[in-house]
Amino acid sequence: MPIHDLGYRPWNGEKCGRWLRPRFIAASGIALVWRRKWLRLMLMLAWLPIFVPAIGIFAFEYSSTEPQMLQFVGNLVGGPLQRPDLAMQLLADPDSARHEVWTLLIMAFFRYPQLSAMVLLVGLIAPMLISYDLRSRAYLMYFSRPLNVIDYMLGKASVVWFFLSMIVTLPALILYLIGVMLSPDLSVVQQTWDIPIRILSASVVLLVPTTIVAMCYSAHTSESRYASFSWFATWILGFVAYQILTFMGTNFGPRRRREFVDGLLLESIDYDRWRLLSPYHALGKVQASIFGLDTTPGSVVPSVLLLIAVTIVGAWLVRRKILALLSI
Amino acid sequence: MIQVRNLVKRYRGVEALRGVTLEVSDGITGLLGPNGSGKSTLIKSLLGLVKTNEGQGTVVGKEWPGQVREIRELVGYLPEDDCYIAGLSGIESVALMANLSGLPKTEGLRRAHEICDFCDFGEERYRPVESYSTGMRQKLKFAQALVHDPPLLILDEPTTGLDPSQRESMLRRIKTLHTHYGKSVLLSTHILPDVKAICDSVIIMVAGTVKVVDTLENLSRPIHPTQHVMVLGDSSRLVQRVRENGLEVEVECDGNLRISPLESQRVGLLWQLAAETDTKIRRLVPAMNSLDKIFIDTASLSEVR
Repeated sequence: MPIHDLGYRPWNGEKCGRWLRPRFIAASGIALVWRRKWLRLMLMLAWLPIFVPAIGIFAFEYSSTEPQMLQFVGNLVGGPLQRPDLAMQLLADPDSARHEVWTLLIMAFFRYPQLSAMVLLVGLIAPMLISYDLRSRAYLMYFSRPLNVIDYMLGKASVVWFFLSMIVTLPALILYLIGVMLSPDLSVVQQTWDIPIRILSASVVLLVPTTIVAMCYSAHTSESRYASFSWFATWILGFVAYQILTFMGTNFGPRRRREFVDGLLLESIDYDRWRLLSPYHALGKVQASIFGLDTTPGSVVPSVLLLIAVTIVGAWLVRRKILALLSI
Repeated sequence: MIQVRNLVKRYRGVEALRGVTLEVSDGITGLLGPNGSGKSTLIKSLLGLVKTNEGQGTVVGKEWPGQVREIRELVGYLPEDDCYIAGLSGIESVALMANLSGLPKTEGLRRAHEICDFCDFGEERYRPVESYSTGMRQKLKFAQALVHDPPLLILDEPTTGLDPSQRESMLRRIKTLHTHYGKSVLLSTHILPDVKAICDSVIIMVAGTVKVVDTLENLSRPIHPTQHVMVLGDSSRLVQRVRENGLEVEVECDGNLRISPLESQRVGLLWQLAAETDTKIRRLVPAMNSLDKIFIDTASLSEVR
């Protein structure tokens, strides 16, 4: 027995509010995940792509003193980012193109490297959140406390949200700050004030449905590897199916639209027809719409409805599964 | 502490609890019953972990089942199942449970250390819980149940998997918590010596119903005045004569007799019959009921029905 042991002592301190308690689940989950070396390494690697849009923003703002930088930004926007119209606009009047250039660079950062990093990160973290609790019956410990299923789900989801925000929202906001700091004067804030709001909205669209789906897989098996497999299969199969149906073969119906403009035959690909098959493309559509950069003609509403439906059904399934476990 | 009326729980048409009505007063109460009698379902129902079909009452002064979250604030629960949060150390697990019960972050950790000292964790508290032995996990669950200082402890098989010295320590802690700190305890167990060692009263459940609710002292008294007789040599002639005199005799496996109804004033009759049959009585004492016998009788009676 320790020398300082005083036996049992009653405790009558002041308790904290119930609404704060999911944060303890989140904090303990974050601490547990943070102990994994590979995850810390992955977080660091996930920050590397920030250099590309950061260099783009730097070059754009630096062009006011070094005009040749404008050509570099024009090449970036017109080439890899496929916006020749914007490239021409920024060469003609850089000031009027600022908002769209920043948004495009941040959106590209969201859309390509970070969405892929998100799929990888969620696939490695989220499945074990509930699966481990099922395997070790930890849910009994949680629910013998003054918590309900929603508190539990919120606490678990917050773990994923924290790490996703670290690789998606935070770097995107830093990109915006970099832009503000490099700009000639603070009047650019007046011009670009909506970008942080768009970043936060796009983050919510990214974080909520994806986390719920991953938790749903996790809640239905005590083997986290099965949940991880289902998660990656959802993204990969959806992506491959979309690519095949959109870009290859003609057996799946009228996929390409043909029209004559100024005597030239233009063949455009219908990017929206199979979009709902792929979570990656459905998310991309909604995010592009939030940033005001959606270039495809189809409505964003089906993609929004899909994400809402996935969130609601996923949350309902997780809740149902947990309640069923407690009834045994 | 606990008052529930007409508690019914059905699982797909099968009634796990059939109109349970019971009152548990302050003190240590043993909850006994064979496997599948509904003890764990009753406990989970009281904590709101299982939704009941019917029933109402109060637990620690809170409306049940309306205020289950308030009830969980005031109850420390030690589950029967082997459950732990993978990856955390013992102290982190206890601190997390403290936080989830409302203790602020730092205070939760301080309190967790205090309880780990009380439960005699030593340096083991810093090890991951997956590496704990069964006995350590039982202690961990006990510490988690106690960390928020609840007035009522519901302990489901707390001594299962403990070695004799750990078991004794666990029972001593439970007893101390009641006698020195006024905690009430509902102790669900199969181990009757544990109940005899620390409980004030007993509830016996069979097939989803409460069959017996009484104090251990009352239960130990036989219904009819009974004498426990130790006989030297053959007792068959004495048994025959006693039966001829209208008394009931039960011959125990060790050859001793339980004779009833036989008040102390009529013991002379027994001496007389022993003299007539030339039987030597070595010991004659008023008999007490054993908890084991009550438990087995209650369970077997229900099976017959």
